Amino acid sequence: MTTAVVTDSTTSLAPGVLERPDVRVVPLTFHFAEDETYTDKMDMSNEQFYERLHDSDVFPTTAQPAPGAFVETYEALSDYDDILVLTLSSKFSGTYESALQAAGIVERPVHVLDTRSAEMGSGLILLEALRCIDEGGNFDEVRRAAEMAIGKANVLFAVGTLEYLAKSGRIGRAQRLLGTALDVRPVLKVEDGEIVPFKRTRGRKRQLASMVEEVRPAAEAGRTLYFGHIAAPELLSELADRLGVEETLVAEIGGVVGSHVGLGAYGVAHL
Amino acid sequence: MAIEVAHMVTAAHAAVKAQVARINDLNVYPVPDGDTGTNMLLTLESLLNETSGRSYDSPEEASRACARAALMGARGNSGVILSQMIRGACEVLADRDSLDAEAFAAGLDGARERAHASVREPVEGTMLTVIKDAALAAREAIEGGSAYLPSVAGAARLAAHDSVRRTPELLAVLREAGVIDAGGLGVAVVLDGLYACITGQEIEAPEAGEDEVPDLEAIHAQEEAWGYCTEFLVDGFDGDAEEFREHVYDSGRSVFVVADDDVVKVHVHTQDPGAALSYAGGFGRLAGVKVDDMEAQVRSRGPVERPAARLGVVVASRGEGNRVLFEQMGAVVIEGGQGKNPSAADLARAVEKTGATAVVLLPNNKNIVPTAEQVDELVAARTHVVPTTNIAAGLAVMVGYDAEGEPDEVVEEMCEISDSLRVAEITRAVRDARIGDREVPEGAYLGFLGGELVAVEGGARDAALALARKMVGDGADVLTLLKGEELAEAELESILDGIRDLDDVIEVEVRGGGQPLYPLQLVAE
Repeated sequence: MTTAVVTDSTTSLAPGVLERPDVRVVPLTFHFAEDETYTDKMDMSNEQFYERLHDSDVFPTTAQPAPGAFVETYEALSDYDDILVLTLSSKFSGTYESALQAAGIVERPVHVLDTRSAEMGSGLILLEALRCIDEGGNFDEVRRAAEMAIGKANVLFAVGTLEYLAKSGRIGRAQRLLGTALDVRPVLKVEDGEIVPFKRTRGRKRQLASMVEEVRPAAEAGRTLYFGHIAAPELLSELADRLGVEETLVAEIGGVVGSHVGLGAYGVAHL
Repeated sequence: MAIEVAHMVTAAHAAVKAQVARINDLNVYPVPDGDTGTNMLLTLESLLNETSGRSYDSPEEASRACARAALMGARGNSGVILSQMIRGACEVLADRDSLDAEAFAAGLDGARERAHASVREPVEGTMLTVIKDAALAAREAIEGGSAYLPSVAGAARLAAHDSVRRTPELLAVLREAGVIDAGGLGVAVVLDGLYACITGQEIEAPEAGEDEVPDLEAIHAQEEAWGYCTEFLVDGFDGDAEEFREHVYDSGRSVFVVADDDVVKVHVHTQDPGAALSYAGGFGRLAGVKVDDMEAQVRSRGPVERPAARLGVVVASRGEGNRVLFEQMGAVVIEGGQGKNPSAADLARAVEKTGATAVVLLPNNKNIVPTAEQVDELVAARTHVVPTTNIAAGLAVMVGYDAEGEPDEVVEEMCEISDSLRVAEITRAVRDARIGDREVPEGAYLGFLGGELVAVEGGARDAALALARKMVGDGADVLTLLKGEELAEAELESILDGIRDLDDVIEVEVRGGGQPLYPLQLVAE
């Protein structure tokens, strides 16, 4: 019994994951204008993307992969007995729907899970599934490992500005952070697949301190931490430093998620 | 047998392309994002690329290729549903040798079936209704004895357009926006294209009706002065969306209900906003509640009722700039402060004005703190005093306010912020005096930090920098300055330059508060 794992491009990939034959990544796309479509994490470097985002008057819209893209991927994995699909939160994107639609089309069982997370969060969930595969787990065990990880995943992040979240309109309950007459640097978290405010803070130091306080128990318990940032490596190092851990896993957050949180965002996920 | 389908696809694609702007403009349901036409066109484009110049060995091969190509290019909700229609039709046509009237009708039925199956909660008044009506008309034409493809296709196409015209009767959001369904029109236009191809005729582009441009603004502009204009969001919507929509529609006039993911936005004019809110509250968490008394507005009295937030805030503040800042953050402001202390009854009235059952009081002045503490006995609401001693501190504390949050947690958060603040202000001596062991001449600028006199200077700048130096020295991260009415703009600039010289890392925020008596108030976090 062999299991392959399919995920989408918003999942942070730990070193070596992309090279595995049993892992496939289906990209999302985004476009700034009708005729200007880019493939997530492939067509532009992060640097170029965020420069474009900063200079652009229009907010890029992101598009879920066509179901066909998943169909092709499922079909390309004919060497494997089972396929597990891990998509980003269905509250952020229709990618989950696309993957499901595609699963209904191919004539083989494909199991699609909504990670209710993205980037570092789904990255950790993917690592759990792969760990189980590597330990010789059968499909049910792999799926259960992923489901357990989904239940435990905790993503905390700090944004430099609320501007991008506001523009994106996809911020769920974090909407309530808007309309503050003073500059707020909030800490946000991903909960039940949506972005919710965790703490409103003012000033970079307090923002950092509030994250450290929340994540410290996980760090002290020796749990795997997956860090991520958008052009903010120094802040990330400071966070890791304050937590007393090495930055073993660090993701550069891609454009699809990045367009919602903006330059200078950084955060950490753990299970 | 060589099968070519490109001519049909080309015709459908051309028909949609000619109408894409019109379809985009109509888009209101499920989200008014104006890309329904584009999404459907992109889906057909993928099909066009696949079939152009190709011929297939069997109907089965052609069907598989088309279904797949449509799926590959499917974009957005409408594109995905269209691709499912194409797939459903292809599955039926895979074992037909020719496209005759019966095959056409069966293909439409296959399209209907797949499309319905692909949507978790089918909504009437959309693409799904239009394909259903078209398939039904084709089937009726066959059963009526017609075996002539052009007449069956023609019947389906006309039924589709009739169905599109009826979509506002089925879907309240269309009715309110005064439009027909965008995706539904797309389906009818695709059938126009197929009909044109079958008959070899050109189809005249139907003219867009005057009523077809969605006019969401107009709903507001034309609203009658009746009842309360009630607007809110239902966050984390959980329940039967159709039932909800119908209930809201029945509850008043000028209803507009639009859903995006699990957020539903509602606009309704009703005589009983409380009933509407408590009904909606059963489906998720309410946010952005806005209730205006339309009739009162007409009588030029302005808005009367405030929405019932879970937690309200009453602040005592002076200065127009400060009032605006606090109101932006959701507080009820009562004019009062140094030299103008409000009574407990004034505060109690403001508490009642919030309409909330739990209310935080920010006195923003140490002389008002004791009065604020009396208010709890005067009102039905539970009140909490966060003893802020100046207006700048009150603003900083407001950052922790969340009208929809758990009141106890929010109050705790606001208290925590308050405890962590370093509060300072500058005022002027009104006469010669002695404060502690300091001689204070009349007109001197006095700098207080945490209520203690720490600077006596001849100018505002020196007093401000003396305070800032101490605050920065204490390890502040953010310094917020509130400019009073007596401080000149140039003086403020010079103070800011001075602060930057002290510390170029600290984040400084300046707001025009306009308070009297205090040229400057400061708060450090």
